[in-house]
Amino acid sequence: MPLRVKKATCTGCKLCQLACSGWHNGAFNPEKARLKVSHKYDKSGIQISISYCNQCGKCVDTCQVEAISLNGSWVLVDHSKCIGCKTCLETCPLDAVHYDGKDKSVICNLCEGSPRCVEWCPKGIIYLKEKKSLTGRAANE
Amino acid sequence: MSSFLGKMLNVDLTTGKIETTIIPREWARQYTGQKGLGARILMDSFDPLIDPLSPENKIVLTASVMAGTIVSSSAKLAISTKSPQTGTITDGSIGGHFGAELKYAGFDAICISGKADNLSCLYLDPEKAEILPVSDLKGVGTFETEIRIKKLVGDSQAKVLANGPAGENRVPFSCISTERYRQLGRGGIGAVMGSKNLKAIAVRGWLEVEVPDMEECLRVVKEIHETDGVIDPENEIYTDGTPILVDFCQESGLLPTANFQEGTFDSFENVNTAAMKEIRQAKKACYSCAIACGNYLKGKQHEVEGPEYETIALCGPNLRNDSKDRIVEINALCDDLGLDTISTGSVLAYMMEMTEKGLYDFGIRFGDTEKAVNIVRHIAFKEGLGAEAAMGVRALSEKYGGQEMAMHVKGMELPGYDPRGSWGMGISYATAPRGGCHMTAYAIEAEAWGDLDPFTYEGKAKLVCDLQNAQFAKFSMGVCDFWPISSETLARLYSVTFGGDWTGTEVDFIGERIFNLQRVFNVMAGFDHTDDRLPGRLHNENLKAGPPKDVPMPYESMTVSLDEYYQIRGWDSQGRPTPEKLKDLQIEDVFIDQYRAYIELS
Repeated sequence: MPLRVKKATCTGCKLCQLACSGWHNGAFNPEKARLKVSHKYDKSGIQISISYCNQCGKCVDTCQVEAISLNGSWVLVDHSKCIGCKTCLETCPLDAVHYDGKDKSVICNLCEGSPRCVEWCPKGIIYLKEKKSLTGRAANE
Repeated sequence: MSSFLGKMLNVDLTTGKIETTIIPREWARQYTGQKGLGARILMDSFDPLIDPLSPENKIVLTASVMAGTIVSSSAKLAISTKSPQTGTITDGSIGGHFGAELKYAGFDAICISGKADNLSCLYLDPEKAEILPVSDLKGVGTFETEIRIKKLVGDSQAKVLANGPAGENRVPFSCISTERYRQLGRGGIGAVMGSKNLKAIAVRGWLEVEVPDMEECLRVVKEIHETDGVIDPENEIYTDGTPILVDFCQESGLLPTANFQEGTFDSFENVNTAAMKEIRQAKKACYSCAIACGNYLKGKQHEVEGPEYETIALCGPNLRNDSKDRIVEINALCDDLGLDTISTGSVLAYMMEMTEKGLYDFGIRFGDTEKAVNIVRHIAFKEGLGAEAAMGVRALSEKYGGQEMAMHVKGMELPGYDPRGSWGMGISYATAPRGGCHMTAYAIEAEAWGDLDPFTYEGKAKLVCDLQNAQFAKFSMGVCDFWPISSETLARLYSVTFGGDWTGTEVDFIGERIFNLQRVFNVMAGFDHTDDRLPGRLHNENLKAGPPKDVPMPYESMTVSLDEYYQIRGWDSQGRPTPEKLKDLQIEDVFIDQYRAYIELS
């Protein structure tokens, strides 16, 4: 059940980042959130970009010490194995890998199935895409 | 652990000295943050009689205690100073992300005094604070200033407060902008920044904001978000935003039209929410705001976040302008040049009426929107007719006459609600500390749009007092006006962020304390009951359509109501808080002693 975002309708409130950091870090700090909402203002107006993990598994494939795994639904990082080489950060195509103060890789684990960002998004812009059913149609589409 | 950090950055632009000082935790208990804390910091060792544009004036930026937390709509930043427009204390709040970013940089407040030798930008982050020369930004609009400041500090995610050319040139109704789409409009804070050679303030933060018990905080805030309307997809502030008020005000007959000569506008449907939605591109939110009131519009040639209702009213019907594209254009110009759209619309309307009535020929009549745009372009640089308009309606009417039609209180031009259609709004305008302001008590909701008779003063003095106290507490806690939150709910939110076990009664008491503190400032700046007056037109002319049609709003009844207001407030007959009242409100002895000495001498 990967995360999905309707980017065009995001209002940029960052409640998702606040919920993420509050839940995982015990304090509010959008810099430490596992997803990132960035604002850019230019002559064409306000542009909002969101980077988040879609569980593509590229970090799993490239991790040199097998510290990262996919448990079927989300990514797990074993900090006892992580050596902080940042290969995952460099190869992530979505800029969704973060490093915490201990120099260890931090990747979204979907809050183990109940993502707080989804729960707190006031406009339903972040959601979990259901896995495809046997008939090939997504359950929520 | 608490979301109040207790730290302030003190900046003296004259000497270049920058230091961090401690804000006593007691101040956050007494005044909370934002507006209240701003007044307290401003008044610390401050002479209310100073020239607002002198280096001695201070600019105090205060985040709310809840800024940076997950509480919706709680991150608005307040800026307090002595206003060059009115001579009163003034504060304004600005949305966007600056307030939260200041907390992530490790500060609740910044206090700026002095005057820099050259045009400067103050930058701070958790590791440094510095004054950067930006002489190349002289005369540059706020939009471009913001982009260039972000490049200068090398961080696209830095948050910037940008002053426009109007502020640089000390136009008394100059505003400042952040993130292109939010403004701190009223009171002339841009001019105070201009007088200090301060072009911009930028902040970047990456520190944590803590709360006493995260699990409890998330549980309580989530419950309140779900039950208090902020995530309701049908919330009209989200679906429409403030333009929805055009229809309400038209129906109530209090939509300012042709410089408040009328209260209804035949072409209102060309500029109402339905019309604005036709050119809406997107919805935008301020930091942590689940409501998302912001409308991003694209006119034929200009784009803007807005226009908000006040801009529509003052730059639309009040000029007999029924073109939404022109409103968008004036709005975009004002934002970029750094002009308050309310005051700008009002001064244009005054010039139009003076010309039409043959009292003075400013060469512009109602509906001349092309000429209006041309004047707006010149106000910021004080050129030609723009130099006249830049004086504001009070000074302009003192020079050319027509004071009956100069629509201001204490020098601040009136916003978009004609009090003849909602008499409590008149008391609200007359007693608002910063002058003609609609934010301190929105009595219209209880009157024209509620159950109370809008055309009587009976019970209105008490209504306005109660609303003002609640609003001052709400704003001081940093919550946006667009969340109609109760004091009890505020108390719960303050408990899970600041800490403690607060009650709604305590919250209202804080609001009353802050309101009185601001009145103390104004009294010591030379104001009394004779300044709590509305423009003559509102008492001497009746509206000709809608519910207020032919209902006179006599001056004498209003003064009786104001006497009642002072009595309820515990003030003397001259509208001055008594030292005993200040003692009851637990305002510190140091203020009371100074104040007692002042009123005994005067």
